[in-house]
Amino acid sequence: MTHMLPRLRVWTQRMTGDWMIWSGGIVLAILALLTITLGLNPPASAQTGSLLLRFQPPAPGGYLLGTDQLGRSMLARVLAGAPWSLGIALVATTIALAIGTPIGLIAAWVPGWPRRIIRMLVDTVIAFPSLVIAVTVIALLGRGFWPLAMVLGLATWPIAARVVYAEAMGIMKRDYVRAAVLAGVSGPLVVLAHVLPALRPTLMTMFAFTFADMLIAESALSFLGLGVPLSAPSWGNMLSDSREYMINAPWMLFVPAGAIVLAVVALNLVGDGVTARVRRSGGRA
Amino acid sequence: MTRSRAIGAALGRRGIELLILLFGISTLLFFLLRLSGDPAAVLAGDEADPETVALIAARYGLDQPLGVQYLRYLGSVLTLDFGNSLRSQTDALALVMERLGSTLLMAGLALVVTALVAVPLGAWIGARPDAGSRHAVNGIVFVIQGIPGYIVGLLLIQLFVVELRWLGSIGNAGPLSWILPAVTLASFLAPKMVRVIAANTSEAMAEDYIRTARATGASDWTLLLRHALPNALLGATALIGTQFAFLMSGSLITEVIFAWPGFGALLIASVERLDFPVVQAAVFVIAILVSLVNAVTDVAFSLIDPRLKGATA
Amino acid sequence: MSLLSVQNLRLGFPKAPGAPVVLDGIDLEVAQGEILGLVGESGSGKSMTALATMGLLPPGAQVLSGRITLDGTDLTDLTERDWRRIRGGEVGMIFQDPMTGLNPVRSVGSLLGESIRRHQSVTKSQAADIAEAALRAVGIPAPRARLSAYPHQLSGGMRQRVMIALALVNAPRIILADEPTTALDATVQAQILDLLRDRLHAAGGLMITHDLGVAADICDRIAVIYHGRIVEQGRTTDVLRAPRHPYTAGLLSAVPTFAGRGTRLIPIPGQPPGPTARRIACSFRPRCTHATEQCAAVPELIDNVACHNALQPEGAL
Repeated sequence: MTHMLPRLRVWTQRMTGDWMIWSGGIVLAILALLTITLGLNPPASAQTGSLLLRFQPPAPGGYLLGTDQLGRSMLARVLAGAPWSLGIALVATTIALAIGTPIGLIAAWVPGWPRRIIRMLVDTVIAFPSLVIAVTVIALLGRGFWPLAMVLGLATWPIAARVVYAEAMGIMKRDYVRAAVLAGVSGPLVVLAHVLPALRPTLMTMFAFTFADMLIAESALSFLGLGVPLSAPSWGNMLSDSREYMINAPWMLFVPAGAIVLAVVALNLVGDGVTARVRRSGGRA
Repeated sequence: MTRSRAIGAALGRRGIELLILLFGISTLLFFLLRLSGDPAAVLAGDEADPETVALIAARYGLDQPLGVQYLRYLGSVLTLDFGNSLRSQTDALALVMERLGSTLLMAGLALVVTALVAVPLGAWIGARPDAGSRHAVNGIVFVIQGIPGYIVGLLLIQLFVVELRWLGSIGNAGPLSWILPAVTLASFLAPKMVRVIAANTSEAMAEDYIRTARATGASDWTLLLRHALPNALLGATALIGTQFAFLMSGSLITEVIFAWPGFGALLIASVERLDFPVVQAAVFVIAILVSLVNAVTDVAFSLIDPRLKGATA
Repeated sequence: MSLLSVQNLRLGFPKAPGAPVVLDGIDLEVAQGEILGLVGESGSGKSMTALATMGLLPPGAQVLSGRITLDGTDLTDLTERDWRRIRGGEVGMIFQDPMTGLNPVRSVGSLLGESIRRHQSVTKSQAADIAEAALRAVGIPAPRARLSAYPHQLSGGMRQRVMIALALVNAPRIILADEPTTALDATVQAQILDLLRDRLHAAGGLMITHDLGVAADICDRIAVIYHGRIVEQGRTTDVLRAPRHPYTAGLLSAVPTFAGRGTRLIPIPGQPPGPTARRIACSFRPRCTHATEQCAAVPELIDNVACHNALQPEGAL
């Protein structure tokens, strides 16, 4: 009787998980495509504009997303900004996961002092507002794509490490892992062959959510003037520009804001979709 | 382990973490400053001539060997002597402390707003998570969660200040001016809170103890409010502790957007101006604040959660 | 004069796929001061009977036909409000798992107090006294101090006693117990069963279990349920000593006993049909060693047995 109901719930969860992954994934794929094609080779209207054409509101026939205070096309600019914002976020996420995952695994695998030290280190750093660190370091070391990406990545790896640590600890309690250990399989091999594959869904969701966080962080820093060089059309810079002209040209705010929200929501969809899928199949089907 | 000893142990741990944090931060700042070039030149500013730079070097002991500098530095940190602001020549620490109140005010208001919104909404969604209306609201919350907090702030300004002209957007000018900054800062936390509370509530409602309570004649309201919600909120409150750092990051940007006279805005301004003593003092205060909040959350938890109250019978 | 009377109760999930019918015409009577055992496998529908008597059916479940009467009051068409008066007041229920059945953030006293003040108009301190008495009645030492205890501070046996106290505290007219000892250790089981035997006899009780031993221990009469129908019922000693339905006989020979070491356990082959299976012939037929052509028709409950080829009271066929 009551065993009927879980099946219904599983069905709705399955559908929920999958459509989330699909819709989020398609949006991200489109964004990636636009970034690679148009973003890296933006039309000239991203950089130069005619002052005669400043503050054009979005019009279907003319400038689709309007123009900014220098007459530059918002559409072109937001596309040109994509490689900056998305690129920095991508690099930062990769750095964070590349450092955090091994460290989290080590903490989970090696008990005793290594685990204690890593845990204390990670807990301490996580408790501290990362933006504060980032802001300070950037100010001193300079702006730009790579400095920003590295600072963000280095400020975030502890969070990745903590998540990997918690998940790995759970995975190591599973019977098949314990069986492997008892059978005498060497430590690193157990980790590589058993723990790591089981971590795949976690890594995927972490990637999605961290990417979103890094995107937000980059744009926040650029907004504060502490991110990419001020001339670069990163979305954060565009937001910062829009502040002065909020009365004249609200679309200057909406366009970059929309781009950021679109990317973040798509990433959250993918992340939550994978989570739902994992919950449904207790592992990852 | 009795409760007081458990609390003592937790506080001790937090204390050690704080010391490590402070030590780490100081060292980081120390070396950062020297990495970015001649610190004396940095402190002197762009337009200074070589003589001024040399004077500053001497004054701050920057011509000493690195090891000596480091030790003197640590010493001054231990005595909480951060020097004077390079800009206003007043004590850096005092400057920061002056602004602390405003930031805490806004953070407190944001927490209140978050609680007022997230608890009822989360409970409502969690009570009947399969109903259509809940799905719709869930979707809305999901999208709002995707809007970064500071963009919410900008959008709110666009709407209420520019378009509707109902509110101002500058600084601390009485309770009306508190609304937008508090709501903006709350938007950093609230969507996630709603989802966590909703998830916890629906989980709690499916537990066996709800069935037991219902078998004693409890109404749906009672089950939700007096049985499920206390369990749900327990988990959610833990989240606030971990999100405090996030809240601090959020208040940095929010203060800048609304020109709120908090120490986040001070930090940003000082960073831009490379007013190093103030930056250092501010970072320190943040570290202590965060540790304090974590310690308080730990203690509060052990008081609230009966399972942590220490074994008796 | 029966306390609880279930008449031709049919219960199912009409809107679920397959429209499963969980109870297909159950008749039960529990007399005052008597303990009736409802014995069956998981999925036989026994828990549903109790839940229906409390109005606690899971979402989607509906009473399709039949009546449940408690001391003359018809329980089939009650409003939610009426049910809230009955649950915990006139009818008390004890559930299976004491480890998860008590709210971890509420003290024992507050749980009891809530139920007491809901059904009796007493002050807070009077409620505390009643709660203390209830705890004492279920054999919990130092009951006053225990009022402020939280579930995690109590052992499994203690927690089940608390659950029992919760069911008894408002002196209900009948007590329903759904596998109350299944989740407990063997030694604790015996203690709890003693307690239950005492308390359930005070009013009247419906004991749901899959364990024949438990039924033998405390039930005055038992009813055996299979695929949503009663296949045999009667005084416990009669039924267990001389079962007349092949299923009951099968259950008994599948139970390991200390007597007859070296004798084979004879499990009943096959599986019981699910709730979506249609009831055209005798449900037990596929697994029955005594089936004949008559069994193509659903057997009615005649003389307390629902079988075309009921075993004679003497034991052999």
